[in-house]
Amino acid sequence: MKIAWKQIVWRPETLLLAVFVAEFVIFAQTGNNFTSTSNLFEIARLSVTIGLLALAMTPVILTGGIDLSVGSLLGLCAVCFGKLWRDFGLPPLLAAVCTLVIGALAGGLNAALITRLRLPPLIVTLGSYSLFRGLAEALTRGVDNFTGFPASFLFLGQGYLFGVIPAQVPIFLAAAIAIWLLVHCTVFGRSYRAIGFSPEGARFAGLPVESRIASVYLLSGVMAAVAALIYVAHVGQAKADAGSGFELLAVTAVVLGGTSIFGGVGTVQGTVLGLGVLAVLRNGLFMSDQPSELANILTGALLLFILAGGVAVEKLSALRARRSAPVPPLSHE
Amino acid sequence: MKGRHFREWSVAAVLGLVLAALAVSAPDFYQPRQLAAMLTETAPILLLACGMSLVILCRQIDISVGSQFAVCGVAAGLMAQQGTPMPVVAVVSVLSGAAFGAFNGMLVAGLGLPSIVVTLATMVTWREALRWWREGEYVRDLPTGFQWFGLSQELGQGTLLAIAVCIFLGLAVALRHLAGGRYIYAVGSDAEAARLAGINPRWITFGVFVLMGALAGLAALVSAVRFPDVDPKAGTGHELRAIAAAVVGGVAITGGRGNLWGVLAGALLLAIIAPALVFWGAPPQWERAIQGGIILTAVAADGWRKRKEPR
Repeated sequence: MKIAWKQIVWRPETLLLAVFVAEFVIFAQTGNNFTSTSNLFEIARLSVTIGLLALAMTPVILTGGIDLSVGSLLGLCAVCFGKLWRDFGLPPLLAAVCTLVIGALAGGLNAALITRLRLPPLIVTLGSYSLFRGLAEALTRGVDNFTGFPASFLFLGQGYLFGVIPAQVPIFLAAAIAIWLLVHCTVFGRSYRAIGFSPEGARFAGLPVESRIASVYLLSGVMAAVAALIYVAHVGQAKADAGSGFELLAVTAVVLGGTSIFGGVGTVQGTVLGLGVLAVLRNGLFMSDQPSELANILTGALLLFILAGGVAVEKLSALRARRSAPVPPLSHE
Repeated sequence: MKGRHFREWSVAAVLGLVLAALAVSAPDFYQPRQLAAMLTETAPILLLACGMSLVILCRQIDISVGSQFAVCGVAAGLMAQQGTPMPVVAVVSVLSGAAFGAFNGMLVAGLGLPSIVVTLATMVTWREALRWWREGEYVRDLPTGFQWFGLSQELGQGTLLAIAVCIFLGLAVALRHLAGGRYIYAVGSDAEAARLAGINPRWITFGVFVLMGALAGLAALVSAVRFPDVDPKAGTGHELRAIAAAVVGGVAITGGRGNLWGVLAGALLLAIIAPALVFWGAPPQWERAIQGGIILTAVAADGWRKRKEPR
């Protein structure tokens, strides 16, 4: 079998992989201790919270939706966890389980509004973005800060397995593999792309479109709760403003990874790669004594560059296909 | 009730109810000074919401307006600091906003990139570039001609409100009665049908982004002159406030439906919550939660009504 090299080379993931490698080469030169094992694990640790949100955001965007509420939900879950543990005296494990239930309920609210009332996800999650953050602020009166969590809980975010591996990295890997299996290897998950590609077509094909769409928002809510627990364990405190802006970082990682914002096209491994590019860029510039603003500016520029590059490749290949075709194909316009 | 503007009227009715409740329970709310403060605070949001409505009517979205707002405000402040006369400052602020809008419009209309991702990228880029450049420093030592345009506070507030009202009325009328306004609805309803009808959807899309940017520049100026110095963090979250005002006011995110009178009611309803909470003695931290609740209720009511209609 002949390998279609051209198709492999021109995929957005390949472009991104090139960026990833280039980052490593550059930062290995400019950064202090950039390539040390401990720093590479530190990069992994810092990207777990955003990473979990981005992993759950991938199926959401694959179905053609978006979930802007995850950052706010992270804040709400963090505050709820702190309140359950400190003010209601629940043991951390029970409080964590309750937090997961709260995440599922919040995701279920989004899911119900989107599927039952057929509302656009952008608007529903914009509303819940305000609602969840507002509830977090109201619960803490805007000032309360939960600290002093037990060491056994903080291990989740600050501890090391075998002395080197940050404790949250295996959780991220497990989540990544689970979502990869779901999206790429199960009939259930493959329907996400069918729905994103054409909801009407998926409905005519007999797929239960509503319940499948509901499942991605539910997953997103639960994942935001998991991310909240890890975030609280990592920074050691829970405040109402936890996770501000994380929804946009998660969307950036997903789109950078080659998932179309219109749905139907994209992979989980692309998201992980996009996440890696963002995390390495941030850490590498930090290690090279560059301001964090530069990392954010380059993130924005990279997003535009990858998008515009994708469009340019598409137009070029369309042009080439037209030239090589013996008979001009019928215009679809 | 199946009236054409049922949605706009119901938002206005809710606003009226809140106003009436305030009149009964907290007449102090209607002190002229308190009202003027609230309205001048809402004026920049209203300008942004008008621009955002045009963008959404065209079936696009612009989440970079908060960053454009911040950059334009700082630029206006720096120019005033150099002793530039205020009319020139105003023109440059509007023009620099329009340039930011043109950049978005070029990428969205020219290259056909999705507007939500493009403006997500420009939002981060402009905001961070500003932080890098200014390092979070306020623009201080502004000439006396800057705050309230050198007028007394009452006159300055009046001028700001007059600017906002004139722009609002102009846009509302243009959107309803001018060909250019109707083209926006046409492109937002069905770009292909609009193209076949002889409209160039790309230029219309480009145009609304430029207009959005210009309004962001104007809103930044209107907002900046209220204070003795310019906050480089101003405008954070304004994109979402503008979208929320448009959506609550009945502008459909799927394009082609809505009008600016509804947006006016939506912007005022969202703006009145914070002062209302204060006057009713409720904890002000609930503001965001209540705003979110209003957005969700408004769109859920839409969905509920549509569900009953035969499809």
